[in-house]
Amino acid sequence: MSQAVSSGAPVVPSFALRAGRYIHRNVLYVYLLFAILYLMLPVAVMALFSFNDPPGKSNVAWHGFTLDAWLNPFGVPQLFDVVQTSVGVAFISTIVATALGTLIALALVRYRFRGSGLTNTLIFLPMATPEIVMGASLLTLFVALGKPPFFPTNFVTIVIAHIMFNISYVVVTVRARLYGFDRHLEEAAMDLGANEWMTFWKVTFPIILPGIMAAALLAFSLSIDDYVITSFTAGRTSTFPIFIWGSARVGVPVQVNVIGTAFFLIAVGFVAITTFLQGRANRPTQPPKMKEGATLPSPERTLAPATEA
Amino acid sequence: MNVRKRLIALTPYLLLAPGILWLLVFFVYPSIQMFISSFWSGTLESGFTASPDNWTTYTKALDRYSPQFLRSLVYGGAATIICFLIAYPLAYTIAFRGGRYKNLLLFLVIAPFFTSFLLRTQSWKIILGDDGILFGPLKDIGLLPPEFRVLATPAAVIAGIAYNFLPFMTLPIYVSLEKIDGRLVEAAKDLYAGPWRPGGTIAGGVLGALVGAGLAAALSYDLIIFAVLGTLVGIVVGTFFISQSFLRIVLPLSLPGVFAGSLLTFIPAMGDFVNAEILGNTQTRMIGNVIQSRFLENNDYPTAAALSFILMAAILAMVAIYARVLGTEELTSAR
Amino acid sequence: MNERSPRTIPDITRRRFLQGSSLVGFSAFLAACSTPGTGSAAPSTAASASAPASVEPVASPSSVPQSPSAELNFANWPLYIDTDADDETKHKTLEDFKAKYGTTVKYSEVINDNDEFFGTIQPALQAGQDTGWDLIVLTDWMASRLIRLGWVEQLDLANMPNKVANMQDVYKGVDFDPTDDHHAPWQSGMTGLGFDTVVTGELTSLASLWEANPKWKGKVTFLTEMRDTIGLTLLKLGKDPTQAAQADADTAIAEIQKAIDAGIIRAFTGNEYAEDLVSGNVVLAMAWSGDILVKQAEKETLAWHLPDEGGMLWTDNMLIPKGAQHKYTAELFIDFVYDPPIAAQIAAYVNYVTPVKGAKEAIAKDADPDVAALAESPLIFPADDVLAKVKIFKTLAEADESYFNDKFSAVTGN
Repeated sequence: MSQAVSSGAPVVPSFALRAGRYIHRNVLYVYLLFAILYLMLPVAVMALFSFNDPPGKSNVAWHGFTLDAWLNPFGVPQLFDVVQTSVGVAFISTIVATALGTLIALALVRYRFRGSGLTNTLIFLPMATPEIVMGASLLTLFVALGKPPFFPTNFVTIVIAHIMFNISYVVVTVRARLYGFDRHLEEAAMDLGANEWMTFWKVTFPIILPGIMAAALLAFSLSIDDYVITSFTAGRTSTFPIFIWGSARVGVPVQVNVIGTAFFLIAVGFVAITTFLQGRANRPTQPPKMKEGATLPSPERTLAPATEA
Repeated sequence: MNVRKRLIALTPYLLLAPGILWLLVFFVYPSIQMFISSFWSGTLESGFTASPDNWTTYTKALDRYSPQFLRSLVYGGAATIICFLIAYPLAYTIAFRGGRYKNLLLFLVIAPFFTSFLLRTQSWKIILGDDGILFGPLKDIGLLPPEFRVLATPAAVIAGIAYNFLPFMTLPIYVSLEKIDGRLVEAAKDLYAGPWRPGGTIAGGVLGALVGAGLAAALSYDLIIFAVLGTLVGIVVGTFFISQSFLRIVLPLSLPGVFAGSLLTFIPAMGDFVNAEILGNTQTRMIGNVIQSRFLENNDYPTAAALSFILMAAILAMVAIYARVLGTEELTSAR
Repeated sequence: MNERSPRTIPDITRRRFLQGSSLVGFSAFLAACSTPGTGSAAPSTAASASAPASVEPVASPSSVPQSPSAELNFANWPLYIDTDADDETKHKTLEDFKAKYGTTVKYSEVINDNDEFFGTIQPALQAGQDTGWDLIVLTDWMASRLIRLGWVEQLDLANMPNKVANMQDVYKGVDFDPTDDHHAPWQSGMTGLGFDTVVTGELTSLASLWEANPKWKGKVTFLTEMRDTIGLTLLKLGKDPTQAAQADADTAIAEIQKAIDAGIIRAFTGNEYAEDLVSGNVVLAMAWSGDILVKQAEKETLAWHLPDEGGMLWTDNMLIPKGAQHKYTAELFIDFVYDPPIAAQIAAYVNYVTPVKGAKEAIAKDADPDVAALAESPLIFPADDVLAKVKIFKTLAEADESYFNDKFSAVTGN
């Protein structure tokens, strides 16, 4: 290519070169398309099979289209209870973990203190530990404690476990948001007279709120989908993933696919709505309309004249 | 005044206290507890007693379950590599070619995450069924031999693990790539424009060989043929699509993201057992399956605890080595 | 400012590592100094066999008049009780029980594997506490273990006239419960060959499972139930599972390994083989008789056959865990299902071998001709010559059980 430039004459690339460049430019888009399809394929299959009409319990082959499962999503025994349990656990653990994690993130980013490195390591460790190790060790703890509410394991122990592993993810997510935060805004607020408490709530918190919401959403998803740690700490209680695992032996009922698809749609909807709202909030505000004939006050008139008798 | 200063100095600790306390009580302490229980001897029926002589539990566990450990390493490693190969171009496309749709595309990458991973793996079992919607038609038209199967082989397990952790690999790489100043890339393109240089070709060839060999091993086909085929395909792809500016500038700058992503993938992958359970068979059992069955089915707490700790130690050791290797490179890259 | 550069993963420097280990060390110190014997929180049979923490006094027959409770917590295997065809939450037997005694039975199909379920109740039983279940159903060898550990309530036979009168003789006086007052058989079943006739044809011999026939090579499953798999293997080798000894374990394992090495066995499964038979991933399996009958509704070409060399007979038994809150009501329920019409109702749906005398006659009298025809089913009411060919695996002592389990785990890749 470079040798053509030096002669000064315009270069008409040959067809091969043009084709090559076309492919070069667009191959990544094709790849992107395939990658997204690949990611969505099992979700699509899951949604598709929620409309299946199997003669028995096994939902592994397509038999026919029906809305029966959607019209009767809790027709399978225990399904309602386990979904209720899962959602309940997710709610509680999300709220607590988000609160605890946000506090930790604030401490880590805003302050220098001894033991910050240690804290970092401690936050990192649960993410580095395989779930099975965490689940097993929690169960050992609960067995050793031996008394209610820790033992026999139940709803409470599941919540405890979920809060534990969610804290790290919340910290990491909120921390990322805090890093990008411009401290000058806070300084400006404080210069204008706000104390620290007011500054936090009126300036800092609204700005990091998207990060906190993202962390909460992440924690909720992790909690509702958790199988391994929950299986160790659930005892007699059953959550949605545990139910799926158990029923996978005899045949996952169609209603489970319905619930799974419903969760997916709700999550997508939630994100869509929050993004839309955020987009609206970020739109530049219009300046206030001025009355007819009014003029902006001129600086000379507002400033007190320096020399006037 | 003094009190106020004290309070301010205490603030970080006060903020930390509740969360850290929770982690200490419900993460650190149980881990210690489990470490102690790995020194138990006895059985469920006759009772357990702790004794330091029982360090033999560790040697016995390693001895008996080293195949599963190795398998977890290999499957986890293979899944991480596959994940990387799929995720990197994906993250690259979104970061550099995404434009206005970046957030939407990122969302699409995370979206499968919003469904139960058990259901997703079950769906894969349906898709990859011996005569299912993917292989059935292929077998009917004769493209595949009738006894071909992917389920209940290591290939299915590795593919399942790679799929499940794809977002974990994509997001950190994307974050890293997004930070790269576009002007650096432009400058590099100007610098490196010109006659062909071997970098891309070699990179492509090596990757192709690896992928080919991996496929061959997973599906138990002829290693040499696949490796050669892979190399050839890789060379073509590499020459045309991997540019010097990419190799010299973009790739090194994205290494922190690659590092974070591969850790977030490899660590849970090593401990995974769900994919092995649903998509594999008894010959593909990973160390996670063993720990689970030792713990929940055989009530063999000492062995289960010992295995958990060996797994933890192995992971931490590998993380440390990996950090060293990539850490020093990071210092020398243009950052 | 003084923000550090954002990194999701912190540097693992030597300093951090030392800090981390000091933290761990400190916690260890705390742990060691804390409540005595956290390491030796030794579950001991002595503690659990003596006075359990929460116990209902075993009512002597004529002393305290008892009434059925409002609730009964019943854990069972899936597909093991009659279920309404249109509403899977309704079970006529449970409704009949409620009509008679006013008790709501909280029925949970949570048992998928004996060991797995045992793992969930073992911590409570070890600590001498209520498991939360009043009635559970476990296979004979697991029932035997629970009884041996003293974790089962003794049944008050005065409350169960039906059971005493109607239990089939073949189940009486088993070696793990000679006095028949700790367990009550729920259903019995046979393990044999399950296959898809379209792919494999009619198979009658256990040798098919070891045959590297291209029609089913790589599509065969064995069971994770050690006693079924090793039992059938021993039968194939011409040995007797009722006398299984450690040497037999070695022979059987070697034989199973041959099938693995030849690439015949796809996997070792629990109930999952049934789904795989329907989807076609598996075409030949060591199968439980009732499973195939149920799945035939989804795939008519499936069939079950008792092998010529013989099959395994096993029993799933009702047990009342120690410390159950509603022991009396549980006993009433056991008695209820030993009433021939009720037993017939359950058998008609479940399709396994019923332990209740008179159920066959009750089914034959059913108004529905399809149901009445089941009275002739050899799978639900096996004839004596069939019963002669099935063997019950020997009840193993603890040491033998460990030996068998370890060897079997090794070959199944566990």
